[in-house]
This record gives sequence, structure tokens and C-alpha cells, in this order.
Amino acid sequence: MRLSGRLRSALIIGGQGIRARKLRTFLSMISLFLGVLGVVAAQAGQVIAYRALVANSELTRGVDGTRSVYLPPVDGSSEIVMDTIRGRDDAVALLSTSAVIGEPNVRPVNEGASPIGGGGGYGSSMVCDSSGDCVDPNEGKPSGQAIEVRVTALTGDLRRFRPLHVQSGRWLDFAGAPSLSPRLVLNKAAAKAFTMFQVPAEMRVQGGIANSTPRFLGVVDDGNSQPQVYVRSDELLNWLPVDVLSDPQFGSALVLAAPDATELIEILKRKYASIADPRMGDLYVETISAEDLMPGEIQMMRWVFLGVSILVLLIGSAGILNVGLATVGERIEEFALRRAVGTPRLLLAGIVLAETLLTGLLTALAAIGAGIAGLAVASRMFGDRHPLLANVAFPWEAGVAGVAAGLVAGVLGGLVPAARAARIPIATVMRA
Amino acid sequence: MTAVQVLPERQGTATPLLRLVGVTKTLRGQQEPRTILSGVDLTLHSGESIAVLGRSGSGKSTLLSLIGLFDRADGGQYMLGERDITRLPERRAAALRSSEFGFVFQRFFLLKHLTAAQNVAMAMVNGQGWLPRRKRRARALAALDQMGIAHLAKHKPPRLSGGEQQRVAIARALVRDPKILLADEPTGALDTDTGNLVVEALRAATDRGCGLVLVTHDHDHAAKMQRVFQLDHGVLSEVAR
Repeated sequence: MRLSGRLRSALIIGGQGIRARKLRTFLSMISLFLGVLGVVAAQAGQVIAYRALVANSELTRGVDGTRSVYLPPVDGSSEIVMDTIRGRDDAVALLSTSAVIGEPNVRPVNEGASPIGGGGGYGSSMVCDSSGDCVDPNEGKPSGQAIEVRVTALTGDLRRFRPLHVQSGRWLDFAGAPSLSPRLVLNKAAAKAFTMFQVPAEMRVQGGIANSTPRFLGVVDDGNSQPQVYVRSDELLNWLPVDVLSDPQFGSALVLAAPDATELIEILKRKYASIADPRMGDLYVETISAEDLMPGEIQMMRWVFLGVSILVLLIGSAGILNVGLATVGERIEEFALRRAVGTPRLLLAGIVLAETLLTGLLTALAAIGAGIAGLAVASRMFGDRHPLLANVAFPWEAGVAGVAAGLVAGVLGGLVPAARAARIPIATVMRA
Repeated sequence: MTAVQVLPERQGTATPLLRLVGVTKTLRGQQEPRTILSGVDLTLHSGESIAVLGRSGSGKSTLLSLIGLFDRADGGQYMLGERDITRLPERRAAALRSSEFGFVFQRFFLLKHLTAAQNVAMAMVNGQGWLPRRKRRARALAALDQMGIAHLAKHKPPRLSGGEQQRVAIARALVRDPKILLADEPTGALDTDTGNLVVEALRAATDRGCGLVLVTHDHDHAAKMQRVFQLDHGVLSEVAR
């Protein structure tokens, strides 16, 4: 009760002090405002950049905790994957190869499945035998209306592990019977390519036994700049022997598993060890961690920005300190009077600290408000050009950092004036 | 040492509100130590009014500072009721200043940014217990009403006359129902008529059992008190009447 009374007294008197010196309080807030805004911006920038990295990583690698198992292509590896993963819902296999969609027997417009419209290309996908002799599969072919894409055949719904955003149309349906006309979902780069070039609906998969007629279901954002299509593995394997995907010339396999799918991974390891050269060692299993995503550059930029902000914050604190000392000098009589009517020294110090803390808090709230408004404006103005800013929400961490910075500045700026206020002698002042 | 001066009719009655016995105070600065109070004895009973006269620099305000626990004596004994508070820690002294004493100063010491009612209520916002805002305001208004200036409750000090300001200050001193009222030349900045009103307001407090110590230069005002003391070169002596 007593503590509560003292706290309330400090807040009431502190509030009265601020109201009585509005202009001075406002002036002391200006430099502090810039410092807190810097802290808020640094924290918000870091959180937004980190969120973007995590979002991109989730699209391209997998969500936090996903276990990723890469199977180097050896004879029978694809069969092992298909046999082991089939019917499971705690893992999905991604079997990769490439395909050309469009006119037959022509050189595609983007050899090597290079991005369309990006300037330059990857060149032809060379096919090499075990002796190291490589040939260009498109050698001698005329240029034509065909697009080369990366193909990822899925044994189940990938979106549990990679939250691909459907941009238009629909995602693959794994429930029904497979179709002989492979249903494809394009990524944005592939969609762009097929928008720019009108091509016949004929798909040739590397190592395939015949060409097929694909159907496009929809478009997803998968964070990949290369043209990429997703297809049900059973629909692709109608046109492609599964062992082709074990051939390093054509494909590779990746398994994404839930964090608790330890037993599945052990089975995969044992099966793989039975077919692979012992010198290749165990399968490499990576657990995807969002913690590891913070690149050193962002960390360093954050520290530099924070360093500058702390400097400005200190200048802001010095402003509060300066104003606080001047105010205490002017209020000697008030503080002596308050002591005369029974206010303890500690509460007097608390009153001054309450004023500087309230000033710091008000400044922090103003800076956070400015940060929220600035981010909203930036998002509206530049969101189209910079995906990082599109529909971005103000991170609560930045708000917390701003409030903490304001309070720290309030304490730093208020300690010395508070100590002075507590030491004012009543007798000397009241006798004057 | 001055002999303890007690009115005959008070002798043998209830415990006095305060009792100073052989109190000394010496100022020690860069120059030679200067004795301000030398063996001061003083007793104050409930409902009693005392005037302390003396020239400037005679130690009147220092005496009031010691009584009001603004400062501490170098020697002697200070009894408040039956408690020896000669060596009281500052924290407890602050609590006593809040609960036992009311102060009125020559320069009013009103806070310019607060209204008259808020100036009175500020004595109740001192961390010594807590009263809700409504109760604080009611008590402040009652104290102002007692001084006959309730209608000025919303006025800020710059809009009040000297007499009105001093009455606000007296209301502030009385709002916590103190046992002892200490007034340090409260009429020093006022004209004669207004000064008389203020002294009368202070004296009226003794009717409710409050003890009053009035430090003044004005013999007329001093004459209105029950006992008059003279402080001369740090020595306090009662003036025979």
C-alpha cells in the first residue's frame, strides 16, 4: 500500500511537472526521439529482413525443424526413395530432373532452364557418360519455340514442408488417380516464360520413354528464379522409368521429413547403405534451423545501426539530463517545500525519475508511432518494387526495443537530477 | 542555559506537545564556527501559542528549523510528546513532518503551476499514506473554506493577492490536521491589515488544540500569542507580561 502510494505520488507529481513545462519537455524529447526512432528502425529492419530470409528459406529449403535428406544418385536410389516414402504422410520425396516443353527437336529458348528475360543463359545441359565424355543434347538442332524447365516430381503434398504460395489456379491434388496427361504447377519464373512464348503442349523429360501432353493447373511462388514445374511423381513416372532418376546424368532425389520421422530416416540410411559404395559414407541429414539463417552482413549492419542509434540515444539522454538539471535548479523551492511537508528524499528522487521516465516513454511511443506510420507509407509506396516491404507488419520486437530505449534514456538522463533533488536542504531554502 | 519556561497553569498537566532541553546549534562553514542557539529550553502544550521575537540573524528561523525537523541540533534533547526524537533518521523525520507539523513561511512557497486547491492537496501527496483524489480534493476545499477562500480554489497563485496566497499556505499547513503549527514570519510580506487576518487565522488553529510557534518581528502580532519569547544571541528567554 505504501509503495503503491509513493508510486502514485511520484507519477502524479511527475505528470504535473511535465504539464507545467511542456515546451521544455518537448525540446528535450526531440533528440531522444531521433535516437529511439533509430533503435526502432534498426530493430524493425533486422526483424523484417530476418522474416524475409526465413520466409524465403521456408520456400526453398523447408520450415524450421524439417529434416532434409539428400540422396546422391546411385543405381537403385530412386527406387529406394519411392518404396520407402510411398503411403507416408510424415515425409515427401522430391525427384528432380529437367524437361523441355514445346516444339520437338529444337534448341529451347532458355537452354539449361535458365531464367527468361534475365539476360544471358546457362547454356545447354551437357550430358556426360562415366568416362567423362560430354555431349550437347541440342547440338545441331535449330532454335525453336520450346522452354526448358526443372521438373520436381512429388510423392505427396510438399506444402507441409515448404509453404509454397498459390498465385493462381490450384495446387496438385494427390488424392485422385494419376493422369496420363501430367498435371503441372508452374513457378512464377516458368509462368513468365510460358506467358512470353507460345509453345505447343508437348513435354520431353530427359531419359523419358516418350513425350507427353502436360496440363497446367496453377502457379506458385517458390522463391526460385529458374523455371520450375511441380508434378505428381506417379504421373511423371508414367513416361519415365524410375531408375532414370538414379542416373546422375538426369536426376537426383531429396526427402523432406517431419522432425519426428527418425525411424524413416534410419530406414532410408540402411537401405541406401545396402546399395551405395561404402566409401560414400552415411547419408547426410540436415535439420533446417531458422536460427542459422542470420547472415553476417545483416548482423553487422544491425550492430552498426544500433551503435549509431545508441550514440544518438546517449545524446538524447544528455538532453534530458541537461534539462533535468536546469529544472531541478529552478525547482529547488518546490522540492524543499515538498520535503517540508513530509515527502521523503527517495520519493523526491522518484518524482524526478518519474518525469524523465514519462518523457522517455512518451518519446518512445511517438517514435514507435512514427515507425509504424513510416513503414505503412514505405510499404504502400515501395511495396510493388521491393517485395521485402510488401504487406509487411510492424514487428512487435521493434516496439519493445523502442520502449526499452526510451526508458533507459529516461533513467540515464534522470539519475543525476534525481540525486540532486533528493539532496536539497530544506532549512537553507525555506529560510531564504 | 535558559531555565525551562512553563506557564504556572500548565505545570503538572498533560505531557507537552514538544520539549526542547538545552538545545544547541553551531554553524560550521569555511569561517570560524558560529553558535546560533545556545542551550535553548522550550515547551509547547496543546492549544498553546508562542511567539518568538528577535533581531535578524538571532537564530529564530534556525530554532524553527530544529523544531520542524528540517535540521538537527548539535546538542541537547528534543522530545515530541513522550518520544525522544533528538537523533531521528531522516526517513522517520519526514514521516513526522507529514503527520505532526504544519508549516507557514514568509514567502508562501506556493507552486505557480498548481491551483489553490492543488497547492493545498500537495501536502497530502507526499508518499506518507494515500488518499484517493476525491478525498484529497474534499479536504483541500474544506481547509480553504476554513480560511474563507474556498471560492478561490481554482485560481492559480499569480491571480491571488498576498493575503490570499498566505491563507492558501495556511490551509496547506492545516490540511493534515497537524499537532504543531510552525510559522516563520508569515506576515513579513503583507500589509498590516492582511497580516492581522493571517495571524488571526493562525491563532484560530490553536482553538482546535493545535500548538503554534510564531516567529515574527512584529510585537503586536506577538502580543496576540499566549507566551512571548525573545531570542538574543542564541539565548531564548520568556518575556514577562
